Amino acid sequence: MSYFRAIDPFPLESAEHTKLHEFYARLAGGRLATTRCGGCGATTWPPRGFCPECASDRFEWVDLPAEGTVHAFTVQDAGLPAGFDGPRVFAIVKVAGHRIFSILTGADPGAVRVGQRVALAPLRVADDPRGHPRWLPAFRVT
Amino acid sequence: MRKVALVGAGVSKFGVRKATYRDLVWEAGKACFDATPGVLPKDVEGLVVGSVMPERTAFQSHISSLAAEALGIRPSALSARTEHMCASGTVGIRYAYAFIAAGLADLVMVLGVEKLNQPSGDEAILNMGTGVDREWEAAFGLTAPPCFALAAQRHMAAYGTSEEQLALVGVKNHTHAAKNPNAHFTKGATLEQVLCSRMISTPLRLFMCSPITDGAAAVLLASEDRARALTDTPVWIRGTGQALDGFQLTSLHEDYAHWPAMRRAAQAAYAMAGVGPHEVDLAEVHDCFAIAELIAYEELGFCRKGEAGPFVAAGRSDYGGDVVVNPRGGLIGCGHPLGATGVAQAAEVFVQLRGEAGARQVTDASLGLTHNNSGMGEHVVMIYGREP
Repeated sequence: MSYFRAIDPFPLESAEHTKLHEFYARLAGGRLATTRCGGCGATTWPPRGFCPECASDRFEWVDLPAEGTVHAFTVQDAGLPAGFDGPRVFAIVKVAGHRIFSILTGADPGAVRVGQRVALAPLRVADDPRGHPRWLPAFRVT
Repeated sequence: MRKVALVGAGVSKFGVRKATYRDLVWEAGKACFDATPGVLPKDVEGLVVGSVMPERTAFQSHISSLAAEALGIRPSALSARTEHMCASGTVGIRYAYAFIAAGLADLVMVLGVEKLNQPSGDEAILNMGTGVDREWEAAFGLTAPPCFALAAQRHMAAYGTSEEQLALVGVKNHTHAAKNPNAHFTKGATLEQVLCSRMISTPLRLFMCSPITDGAAAVLLASEDRARALTDTPVWIRGTGQALDGFQLTSLHEDYAHWPAMRRAAQAAYAMAGVGPHEVDLAEVHDCFAIAELIAYEELGFCRKGEAGPFVAAGRSDYGGDVVVNPRGGLIGCGHPLGATGVAQAAEVFVQLRGEAGARQVTDASLGLTHNNSGMGEHVVMIYGREP
């Protein structure tokens, strides 16, 4: 038997595993969605199944703009987790007033600037153990 | 509430250890019992173990019972594990404190332990991703360095904090660690070494970061009567506070140079102790990254917002200054075995307030503070005094 390791850092995205499946279904189609509370109408990022303001668990899906601006960023060169390559540009992206944590793909790390415009660029990662494709809400410089 | 004091403390060697999880429990437990004459394992009524990820790093849960058995403690009043990422140790001390203050126990050990290093280094770092939100953060490869790098970027932009001022935190804490035989790093560091060390996450360089470290620490807490019976020099818990702003990065204050939860936790602890920041002789603060120590000066009230860079540059956080910050070498110099860190901070305050810190002794230390955090938005502060 070889050295044994097992960890999956990616979320389980299919309908059988998460209430937030609709988010990932829309993401696969290039749309950035989140939840609006069915009780008080608050729209939050990230999407959630319970409203921290009014304690409702009713929600509906709404699309956010697929573009935003860089609010803050850092470039990590070393000390990345197994399976993740550097340099890696981590960023907080402002979209319609929401702060979204993500990475910028295909960016020149030396050329990224606060205030720069970026667009949603869904990133396909490893399929889940049952072969369902999985996506993350990454961004790219426009 | 009853008064509660530390009556013993011990720390294992910190580092990349050729030791198992249980070996580290034995080392810290042995050191703590050796430092507490008159107490044997059978006398201890409770055990709280602070530990973050033994399930990942040692294929082991159920660890408070493992540690009790390893040390010969048979809990009759309290047995529990605390997991609160990097602040697990201090969260454990608060539980033991509350139990004793409420009259539910008289003598409780708090032990923090972590065996983080693995045969492959990037796997050890992957494990650290369990401390951020898997779905919205860790899936992108996020661990702690980029989070604190965002705070450093913002502090530099807003207040003119320089790379050299960040580096001076690394120099100070590596220099302090050189006088601590239990530290991960004991060679010290020059300003040039820190500024020329490898870039980890802009603008944080290697010597501005705490390393991946194995280690354990233990303290014994006692009720007032038991403490006075055991020692002439107990170290009293005077105040404690905990506050949270949020878990995910995007739930925190929009300006990452502001950590309001730390300010609230400190204010609660100061109010309970009836003291102010300028009375603190030494502070063990959570310098997981150099920027965290700078922001701690501000949020703990040692200096005003934005003045932390000049504060460290003028030596005001070193021996001979306003307050000695991280005399044991901090997380940057000692390393950061997550669950052990908060307990090791308490152990340092214990020896300092008893005048037993040797080459690291802060002159006439009578009031000590510890600050432990889990990310930028979750903070715990303790205040200890030579007087009750």
